[in-house]
Amino acid sequence: MLKTVPKTYQSPRTVEEAVQAVSQTGAAILAGGTDLMPRWSRNLSPRPAALVDLKRIEQLRGVKLVDGVVRIGACTLMSELEADPLIRAAAPILAQAASRVACPQIRNRATLGGNLCNASPAADTAVPLLILDATLEVASPRSDGVAMREIPVAEFFHGPGRTALQPGEVLTSIRFNPLASGTFSAWDKFGTRPAMEIAVVSVGVVLALARGEVTQARVAYGSVAPVPLRGRKAETVLLGQPMRGEIIDRCVAAARDEISPISDVRASQDYRREIVAVMLRRMLENAASH
Amino acid sequence: MPQATELLDLAFTVNGEPVQLAVSPFSSLLDVLRENLELTGAKRGCGEGECGACSVLLNGKVVNSCLVLAAECAGADVLTIEGLTRAERLHPLQEAFVQHGAVQCGYCTPGMVMAAYGLLLENPSPSEAEVCRALEGNLCRCTGYRKIIDAVLAATNGGPPHD
Amino acid sequence: MIRTAVEVQPETTTPRKVVKQTLIGQRVPKLDAPDKVTGLARYLEDIKLPRMLYGKILFAGRPHARIMEIDAAAARKMPGVRAVLTAADIELVPFGFARDNTALKKGKVTCIRDEVAAVAADTPEIAAEAIRRIRVIYEDLPLVTSTAEAIAEGAPVIHEKIPDNVPYRFDYSHGDIEQGIRESDLIVEDTYTLQRVAHCCLGTAGIIAHFDASGRLTLHSLTQVPFSYKNDLSRIIGLPAERIRVIQPTIGGAFGSKLDIHPFEPICVFLARATRRPVQIAFTREEEFLATPTRQPMVIHLRSGARKDGTFTFRDVRMTLDNGGRTSWGATTPWISMRTFSSLYRVPHVRQHVDVVYTNNVYSCAFRGYGNPQATFALESQIDDLAHRLGLDPLEIRLKNAQKPGETTGQGMVLGTCGLADCLKAAARNAAWDVKHSPPQKQRTGRVRGMGMASLFHVGGGAKIQRSDGCGTILKIDDFGGVTILTGASDIGQGSETVIAQIVAEELGLPLSNIRVMNNDSDLKPWDVGVHASRTTFIAGNSAQRAAREARRKLLEAAGKYLKRDPRQLDLTNGNVTDCATGEPLESIAKVLRAMHFGGNHEMIMTSDFYEPPSEMPDSDHKGDISACYAFGTHVAEVEVDLETGVVRVLGISAAHDVGRVINRLGIEGQIEGGIAQGIGYALYEELKVHGGRVLNSTFTDYKLPTTREIPELKLEFIETNDPAGPHGAKGVAEAPLVPVAPAIANAIFNATGVRIRELPMTPERVLASLKEAQNAECGGGHG
Repeated sequence: MLKTVPKTYQSPRTVEEAVQAVSQTGAAILAGGTDLMPRWSRNLSPRPAALVDLKRIEQLRGVKLVDGVVRIGACTLMSELEADPLIRAAAPILAQAASRVACPQIRNRATLGGNLCNASPAADTAVPLLILDATLEVASPRSDGVAMREIPVAEFFHGPGRTALQPGEVLTSIRFNPLASGTFSAWDKFGTRPAMEIAVVSVGVVLALARGEVTQARVAYGSVAPVPLRGRKAETVLLGQPMRGEIIDRCVAAARDEISPISDVRASQDYRREIVAVMLRRMLENAASH
Repeated sequence: MPQATELLDLAFTVNGEPVQLAVSPFSSLLDVLRENLELTGAKRGCGEGECGACSVLLNGKVVNSCLVLAAECAGADVLTIEGLTRAERLHPLQEAFVQHGAVQCGYCTPGMVMAAYGLLLENPSPSEAEVCRALEGNLCRCTGYRKIIDAVLAATNGGPPHD
Repeated sequence: MIRTAVEVQPETTTPRKVVKQTLIGQRVPKLDAPDKVTGLARYLEDIKLPRMLYGKILFAGRPHARIMEIDAAAARKMPGVRAVLTAADIELVPFGFARDNTALKKGKVTCIRDEVAAVAADTPEIAAEAIRRIRVIYEDLPLVTSTAEAIAEGAPVIHEKIPDNVPYRFDYSHGDIEQGIRESDLIVEDTYTLQRVAHCCLGTAGIIAHFDASGRLTLHSLTQVPFSYKNDLSRIIGLPAERIRVIQPTIGGAFGSKLDIHPFEPICVFLARATRRPVQIAFTREEEFLATPTRQPMVIHLRSGARKDGTFTFRDVRMTLDNGGRTSWGATTPWISMRTFSSLYRVPHVRQHVDVVYTNNVYSCAFRGYGNPQATFALESQIDDLAHRLGLDPLEIRLKNAQKPGETTGQGMVLGTCGLADCLKAAARNAAWDVKHSPPQKQRTGRVRGMGMASLFHVGGGAKIQRSDGCGTILKIDDFGGVTILTGASDIGQGSETVIAQIVAEELGLPLSNIRVMNNDSDLKPWDVGVHASRTTFIAGNSAQRAAREARRKLLEAAGKYLKRDPRQLDLTNGNVTDCATGEPLESIAKVLRAMHFGGNHEMIMTSDFYEPPSEMPDSDHKGDISACYAFGTHVAEVEVDLETGVVRVLGISAAHDVGRVINRLGIEGQIEGGIAQGIGYALYEELKVHGGRVLNSTFTDYKLPTTREIPELKLEFIETNDPAGPHGAKGVAEAPLVPVAPAIANAIFNATGVRIRELPMTPERVLASLKEAQNAECGGGHG
């Protein structure tokens, strides 16, 4: 039995160790492996010189409520998010999105952090986090250890497969304020089949109404732009307005306008635009009838 | 391309038995089960986590073993289809698959049974919708799934009525 | 399992009839299910022979190019690489239906999956790396990506021997088309487009080849046709067929994909020859999508007519087949499509013309239904249209034209038993057609429901397309009542071995657990033409039954001698020789067998049979009674359509099938349920997208199979017409359940929305586009 010092596979126990490991040349992070390993299988990504497995770092696991803020460790599994009572109460759209990732086998391995850092425009958890106005906490390497910085989720995605993370940085947690009671929230993803789908499009909405008027509006879309996208134009239409047919029409028109879907093997850009409009309309009409 | 010479010591438990192996850092759990341990029940239907034919339980949870590195399994508890059969008796799930015609070519069967077993560990009396959801990651091209669902329901309290 | 059979009646003066439990029609678990459910069953990739090497193939990766140079030096140098082969290293024997394929390609490649080189190495990883290091210099040639391009003026020639790119044209007719046109009160005409779909067997393609010391070749092959496979392969590799042994491991699905010889198979033999070691080739899922043939895509232009009372008058069909860059069985699917157009429902005048056209796309082979699903989609969609335009109920128009038992179709097929009308009525009744089928509503938003139907016609008693459509059986019984059946018939997961065991157990009065079926070694098993055309229960079942009846006769004769009784008063039940009249067990069968063997004449029971069905080969006009009996069925589909997204949900399918007789209820339900699932995929989700000759979707994420979340409610009814030709009256059923699903769904979508979709798959995007087009047309084509 060969006993070389294993450099290829590394399993740090602390964030500090992780950041040091990830700073090595040719290092790659392994979280759930559900995006990374299929790419290796198809030779779309080379196997890295060093693989840093984050899953044994306690600090990166778990959902907590601290000072009224929900904090989720980056290595929390989709299956954990789906079932977590705090997430289901404070951010049901995130639990829903987690529950619709692929299938149980994937949900038992895929992590929230991995989903975000893989940065597919179709990432299932991105849209809920965008409309939760989440903040990402990132550990950066320093000569004397680790420094933390924060990135609002809306600034995290830079392009397909590209994020705001610098070399050597590790996403450690994701935090957001729980949705206030009485807030309307909805999220849905559209695919040809109920399961095993990469979203053709996804849409999420968070609305707060007071005396029939929209006091808070957050809209986001997935798979219709190079990055998961906040729907600022759609939100502007809604804010301060009553939830009425004409406002809904204008909001949907704004959504059509601010997205830039492409045609690919899954759907044409026209169809994607059409489905975003339908999904958003249905969510808004649902909100109006509440 | 895995570094051909670098090997990792791996100690874990498979089907209740302790196992010690030297594995390549990029070997998947599926590779190790099939090649090193000759447990060929788990199948390589796609190698990329899209068919479920390689499903095993890892620390009690169903996973696609093609997407788990063997290296990640240090100290873990792995259960494969071979581990479900106890002392030459079929597990009730396996018996139900046989009796209900849930097996045709059988390629998807080990993965299906393990996914169903993973469900029953968490939910001993699932509804039909819950069974369908638990198996949504396991593809079958032969059976149309009906008898697979029937078998899983039958293996729990109160299966479907026979016509 | 046989339960205790007999009810013993009290003694009276008149002998009582004894009710005997039968295995026929029971729910019998598949014999190899326990092995499969415990992971013990050995599939191809589970087999590891001593010193076995792993083979990998370099595919062209470009659709049309001249091979200028192949530089394999870097691959040959790699440690662990034991052989590298190109066309220059082997003798190139053309094979395939059109003899336009060779194991490795020389000169040019005509589709992306053409095999250019092959490697055998110590591990699959080394083999894959070696493949990556082979450098091929190509000169790209102009592409032909559609049949239209292929037949255009000045089109590039794909195969020199076929300068017009049209290797085959088929023509069929019966009756007189012009008369049919004259007799019609209504004529409709439309084009139907059927897509490429992939078999998606969970077990991928593969083979193991090894030579023994005397040069005899053993193949572990997934072939569905071991005997013709041996013959064809012998020519390609230059080895007499009798020096080839084919062993069929447990197979991970077939559905017709293994009916032809594929280049990787002789390639593996050449690698084994070059290395003098066993070699295994096993495809990855990506290779499976890119490099295994698909269902034959078709463009079907159909014109048909009817009288105003709904009587069908004529069908005029023009089909264009994209044959891809090489020819496999896909080119022959029109012969089966012909039978649908000529004989599904009564129709006096039919004409069909088919052009099979080369392109640089991937090519096609056999797939469950073999041209019937494509034809039935076109025909049953158009019949639905005829009904609608004539103001007739879709059920009534079909009943009006449904054949009756004893009719002969225009193509010469004699419908001895014919349960079509019963299938139509049963499927409709079980779907509550009367209540749920109503004209489409004029809704624009929300979800609407609808119901549609389609029938099928297929061979049920084999298909005599070669000179023999037979199957052999050898049967022996040991000293303990253990029965071994050697059957030519292969099991591809459909459960043929279980049905054969049931039939034999039934004849011999022995428990099923006494029966062993051996069907996977060409050295041992008698000839069978292969698993195709839904023939196995019928032909192999008949053969096994005849061999078993001869064994039964011998056993009863021996029992008569042993018991000093008239054999005609004896029966075999549950392991015993019993009295016919009273059912009383008289002696165990095993004891009688041992008495035969060790006493008296020292005999053991060994019987054999070769069954050739009473059918005829088609004549040069494609006419003839090619099958001993025919299968019928009807499906009624209920769908819900989301008018704003185009998503179609299949709520339920009511299926009624004329199967002659149910032998294994569990098995036959499994065939129907599985076929329906494949039909739903064909109708709504599946397409292998090929653009510019390249496959765009080669993963299960983007090639969408139905999952457990898409099973509709199923109602199955079996119509038992008890065909005298079949074992216990049974007819074949395996392909049938896929055939009518897509048109039933398309017709249901029409019923729900008023919109007819004539192209598969009916994806949400396609459905929505059709809905919008119809809305625009209604509005006079104004605003969008």
